[in-house]
Amino acid sequence: MNRFELLNLLQDTLQDNLVICNIGLPSQELYKINDRPNYFYMLGSMGLSSSIGLGLSLSIDKNVISIDGDGSVLMNMNTLATIGNRAPNNYTLLIVDNGSYGSTGDQKTFTNEKTSLKEVALGAGCQNVIECSGKETPDNLKKALADKNNSYVIISKISSGNVPIKPIPLNAITIRDRFRKSIGLVSYL
Amino acid sequence: MKISQQIISNLKKGGADFFLSVPCKLLANMITILETDNDIYYSAIPREEEGMGICAGAYLGNKLPCIMMQNTGIGNSVNSIVSLLQLYQMPVVFLISYRGTSGEPVGAQGGMAKVTEEILQTLRIPILHCSSENDLDKISTFTAHAKVIENPVAILCDFNLMKED
Repeated sequence: MNRFELLNLLQDTLQDNLVICNIGLPSQELYKINDRPNYFYMLGSMGLSSSIGLGLSLSIDKNVISIDGDGSVLMNMNTLATIGNRAPNNYTLLIVDNGSYGSTGDQKTFTNEKTSLKEVALGAGCQNVIECSGKETPDNLKKALADKNNSYVIISKISSGNVPIKPIPLNAITIRDRFRKSIGLVSYL
Repeated sequence: MKISQQIISNLKKGGADFFLSVPCKLLANMITILETDNDIYYSAIPREEEGMGICAGAYLGNKLPCIMMQNTGIGNSVNSIVSLLQLYQMPVVFLISYRGTSGEPVGAQGGMAKVTEEILQTLRIPILHCSSENDLDKISTFTAHAKVIENPVAILCDFNLMKED
């Protein structure tokens, strides 16, 4: 299973939740599969999907899912410590771990070698860390969202590989405004 | 403690309700105040760039975030400021201890001090430079201004202003 297939498989679970999606191909694939106003597509700042989702989950009561990649988590690993110590129960970090920097040409990441993001997350203080296959991911994500007493880090181990895709034809302000409106906190947009 | 109290109270008056900090000894009193303030959210975090991401999320959740850090933190955060906060037009207040300004005992801090304002100007981030107690009253309007212009703003607090607090 590659990322595109995983994102397809997850739509039932994702589509009614607030989702922060990693820059590049993950966002482009998500847009192509099922564009939703409650999906926040990152157009820059690789590494910060986990942090953006954390900030949002600390500010509202609804469930928030950050979709991140192994390469991006490796770029901003300190945020796992912040998540381990501060993530509220409405926060889920879904790391799509395909062992490669997909958007830049599938160069291998260190999760292909000695690095285990599960061990890193546990060591950083995250209490509920699930490493699973792509096929097991929808059920684990459902479980994480249903649990109102815990935050989760789910590491979905899948294959590398991308599908041909175009950049997202939305500008940043459109993505921002429709996302904020979908949260229901602002009425003026 | 008096100056730190004034700064925090003016930030809150301007609408800031979500605070993060990466530590600096000049920010220590402000951190102590925020740790026991139940009106706002506060957390320490390990790195400024991550903080820009958390602030972006907090803004999406309708907060006006403030990140407190040394001027060195601006150096750690340039891409996240441009490609996240400014790309999506997100207001965030940077409360910056201006290390390396007059009175600074650590020579190595002089390097970032020399380029801090130029970096902020290059990024087109409005600056409020606080060098005396008289400047602190401007903080509340300046904080609210971030929301009006949908852009980060930077408040620089000189070493000599903070050191006796």
